[in-house]
Amino acid sequence: MSEQLSTLRYYLEYDFVRNAVIVGLLISLCASLLGVTLVLKRFSFIGDGLSHVAFGAIAVSSVLTFGLRAIGSETTGRLAEVLSENNHTVIVLPLTVLAAVLLLRTGQNTRIKGDAAVAMISVGSLAIGYLLMNRFPSSSNISGDVCSTLFGSTSILTLKGTDVIVCSVMAVIVIATFVVFYNKIFAVTFDESFTRASGVNAGLYNLMIAIITAVIIVISMNLVGSLLISALIIFPALSAMRILRSFRGVVICSAVISVFCAGTGILISILYSTPVGSTIVAADIAVFLIFSLLSMFRKGR
Amino acid sequence: MKHMRLLAAFAAAMLLTGCGSSGGSESPAAADGYDVDLTQLSSSMVYGQVYDMVNNSESYVGKKVKMKGSFSYYKDEQTGKEYFAVLIADATACCSQGIEFRLKGDPVYPDDYPHVGKEITVTGSFAWYKEDYATYCQLLDAEILPDEGTSDETTNELSWS
Repeated sequence: MSEQLSTLRYYLEYDFVRNAVIVGLLISLCASLLGVTLVLKRFSFIGDGLSHVAFGAIAVSSVLTFGLRAIGSETTGRLAEVLSENNHTVIVLPLTVLAAVLLLRTGQNTRIKGDAAVAMISVGSLAIGYLLMNRFPSSSNISGDVCSTLFGSTSILTLKGTDVIVCSVMAVIVIATFVVFYNKIFAVTFDESFTRASGVNAGLYNLMIAIITAVIIVISMNLVGSLLISALIIFPALSAMRILRSFRGVVICSAVISVFCAGTGILISILYSTPVGSTIVAADIAVFLIFSLLSMFRKGR
Repeated sequence: MKHMRLLAAFAAAMLLTGCGSSGGSESPAAADGYDVDLTQLSSSMVYGQVYDMVNNSESYVGKKVKMKGSFSYYKDEQTGKEYFAVLIADATACCSQGIEFRLKGDPVYPDDYPHVGKEITVTGSFAWYKEDYATYCQLLDAEILPDEGTSDETTNELSWS
């Protein structure tokens, strides 16, 4: 045990490990805050849908980068550098936000409703993304690129200082929005009709929730990849709901669980060389099982 | 007001976090006279470290590096140029990072090199070069260290880029 602790201490001296821990904790904190609202509003799968949209958007951006480089002029070369240097966020973020807004409107006089729209956008983006990556590969290792985008692979260990700053700024915006509009989000989550009746623009707050969710999805892709993002959003909330009943209690407990599981997952994965995303989700599942057992024990008494 | 206080506390915490993370790369010194000893790291750490060496190449130039991985060979038929590298797979086994090496003297392939796929330990001085848009790293004046009980399982030719 002491040998592992000293190894861990040694690993933490590396900049990229510290970056991974900081970004991992921030992302997990943001995801858990929104997770409670999304689970209660029956939007658990919106995370899955949006993450697949982000995957498709990364493929589109990669093709665009490839095309710009192929043109060969100085301006297009510089544009391609800009796209690849910020992990394609310039393209991925607006597309994901657009999809989030479209999905949110599914309940409002649209022909394709709720889960069908999420499923359609989700699998459609995944298919188009893979098709584009396959036809216009950005590197010789297509399976590596796909695996890295879907499962996060070890991309959390490859973050640069600028990624940490971008992630920190986004985390501040997300948490600030949640704290400032806490009461409104609470109202919209529990009784949208009543909120509307009391004169609050519920549509605006739903839109805000959708945009924040899209931002979290985009920054989370480096941590767990697009297939496992939903787990980061829903597991901490579901675990907290096993034993707590108040909205505030669930939000706080969910945040603590999420940060704990992300930290534990990252440290275990660098110590034992397991995939980062899967290890974090495994930790989330373990906590969910423990909390479910605690809940059963409490009911039994 | 309470929300604002919470927010201010969080913003202050974030500022402190930002101060702790530098823009450049920083790695602790390794033992046994090596600046970077990849053989002492777990495979996830090796992947992260090699990625850092590729992306922050300038800060590693001239450093003495020791690494372990499977030997890979590639010959560009058009230019006739030969490339020798050590490949390291990541935890999900779908991605691998490679560092090219140039042995000391004038060795000839295949006589002076191991089988493709054999696990080898290589030491050398770090350098880098750009080709098209990609940055490639290499160990110059490299030496293949004597076998330390490593396996020789694969003889299939591996490709790398």
